[in-house]
Amino acid sequence: MGHARAALACPTRVGYRGSVKKTGGHRVLRVATVAWSALLGALGCASERPGGPATVTVSGSVLGAEGRILRRQLERFDRETPDIRVEMRPTPDAADLRHQLYVQWLNARATDPDILQVDAIWTPEFAAAGWILPLDRFAPDTAAFFPVTIEANRWRGDLFALPWFVDVGMLYWRTDLFSEPPETWDALERAVIPIVAGGSPRYGLVWQGARYEGLVTVFLEYLGGFGGRILDGDRVTVQEPPGVLALTTMRDQIHRTGVVPRRVLTWHEEEPRFAFQNGEAALMRNWPYAAGPMQDSTQSRVAGRFAVAPMPAGPGGRHTAAFGGAQLAINAFSPEAAAAWLVIEYLTRPEQMLERASIVGQFPTRTAVYDDPALADALAIPPAQARAIVEAAVPRPVTPVYTQLSEILQIQLHRALSLQAEPRDALARAGSEMQALLDRAGLGRGGVAVR
Amino acid sequence: MVAPAVVTILLVALFPLTWTVWESLHLHDLRMPWLGQPFVGLENYAEVLRDRRFWGAMGHTLWFAAASVSLELVLGCVLALAMNRTFRGRALVRASILIPWAIPTVVAALVWRFMFEGLEGWLTHDLRAWVPVILSDVWKTTPFVALLLLAGLQGIDPALYEAARIDGASPWRQFRYVTLPLLAPAIMVALIFRTLDAFRVFDLIYVLTGGGPGTATEPIALYTFNTLMHNLRFGYGSALSVLVFLVTFGLALGYIRLLGRGLTDVRS
Repeated sequence: MGHARAALACPTRVGYRGSVKKTGGHRVLRVATVAWSALLGALGCASERPGGPATVTVSGSVLGAEGRILRRQLERFDRETPDIRVEMRPTPDAADLRHQLYVQWLNARATDPDILQVDAIWTPEFAAAGWILPLDRFAPDTAAFFPVTIEANRWRGDLFALPWFVDVGMLYWRTDLFSEPPETWDALERAVIPIVAGGSPRYGLVWQGARYEGLVTVFLEYLGGFGGRILDGDRVTVQEPPGVLALTTMRDQIHRTGVVPRRVLTWHEEEPRFAFQNGEAALMRNWPYAAGPMQDSTQSRVAGRFAVAPMPAGPGGRHTAAFGGAQLAINAFSPEAAAAWLVIEYLTRPEQMLERASIVGQFPTRTAVYDDPALADALAIPPAQARAIVEAAVPRPVTPVYTQLSEILQIQLHRALSLQAEPRDALARAGSEMQALLDRAGLGRGGVAVR
Repeated sequence: MVAPAVVTILLVALFPLTWTVWESLHLHDLRMPWLGQPFVGLENYAEVLRDRRFWGAMGHTLWFAAASVSLELVLGCVLALAMNRTFRGRALVRASILIPWAIPTVVAALVWRFMFEGLEGWLTHDLRAWVPVILSDVWKTTPFVALLLLAGLQGIDPALYEAARIDGASPWRQFRYVTLPLLAPAIMVALIFRTLDAFRVFDLIYVLTGGGPGTATEPIALYTFNTLMHNLRFGYGSALSVLVFLVTFGLALGYIRLLGRGLTDVRS
């Protein structure tokens, strides 16, 4: 099938190679390329090279529905754009493993894959290393996206990745247990303590508390609720009073009031979803993806009996959602950057976002999509609610050494939550280790500038 | 005939080791490529010695090795003594005792994790989390120790026990003055293998607790792995590796000298 399509596409490809792709370059070589391509075209495109379509490789999730929808969208792009061929490069689904692979590839200056699916927290790291291209040269329509999604992808003023879909932390609540979602942590505890005491359901609030990146996102939401931040510019501020208050609240909910079960300290995203889905928890903090399977009455006991709300806030803060999700960036060593941009531009169009939303429940990054009535059918939760939560989202610290900072914080948060250290001491230690790391990286106070 | 052996040793052992030592003298952080790869002398080692997580990991490793190996030796000895008697179905018992040893560590660790995840507060408590870790290692490795000791037991001349009985020695005295001294070489071999293995413990803890809660059960091998493969700090991770190598090498040397003395004692 590939061959038949390539044969039909031949003349266009030649035109593309000759006119658009090689701007400048060696004239004689270009003429030769065109002639050679024309010859191949006459022969029915027996070979793809040279002068074949530009091949762009896309790395990202290839598993399950997410893989299927990406494949379908790329095939559609292939059909609509005969002068570019797109191939998928499978990468591990676990974020850590994918990141490790990217770093090894880019450090070795691999030219393939051209397009990288990156987590928001990796953008500054790859940008500072010079591994991904600034996208401003392609004049992306940044005003059409949620400001937070653009802000998280800027490094030193330049945009390095285009937001593809948003992940935000939300409070899932049972409409048959509460008449309205708790606005504050106090209200949540007041409402939940009698429920847990009665034993039905057995858990109050559940979240991902294992020692991994997910724990930091939960902490970030408590922290925002008390008006704190992890980093203020190049200064670590997590050990300041709002941080201590946020961590103490989390710890008391586990060990004092029992609002959160202790076992969340070994849980990732899926365990809370299973607990909530089986009706064992009154409230859950999770990402948007959980809504889809939970609305499916064949596997869920709470289908039609839950809604979402922003995470509660404490005194001095505001409702906060940790911002996550996927971005698309271009490998700085890619020889096909212009073609890669066309693929990114295609994948981030409103229609594609709508399709992703309807099939895998991922929130679009373009604000206008939320006004499209089709989105209401696509998402398992009302678009207005989804939009309100995205607008309350805050990015994790935008710094090239985020992953290392996060590891330090993960360990100290987990120590405090498992009663190995007092919140104040744990955060003080995290703060000084994080500041030392920033200084060592040349990013701290008085450090040398990066790039 | 010597040349190929020397070349092989150079290639297989010395080259990677030298490379690691050389790497450990550099700042080489893949996550911070803008810092370059400058030569920093012993700075990485100085940082290791100030690193609380490193000392914690060292302490955890020593504690794990001491606890698990001593339990394994005692239990292994009991099992070996039991298997050394003649009874019906002995062959079957000897074969089946090896089953835990034959199960891949990762699979065994997963099974133990699922068992303890169901119990609230074990994997999330800094001291109690050691219970599944040590228990699973003992469960898995005691058979190996038992078989090693059994081989040792079978090498003991039954005439010695007969002579002891005639002299009126109680079973305890027979064990203390006949079995134990003659079993010493086998015990030494088991001790060496198990201590060095325990010192390098990685997969079991990686799967069972991930080193948590916090870093309460993190052994040195897991910390080194995280530094190298997760944080991609090649210079610092190499310094950690070199230190671990020195400690295990020292342990092995010490044991070999002890073992040598043990053997000569038996002969005299």
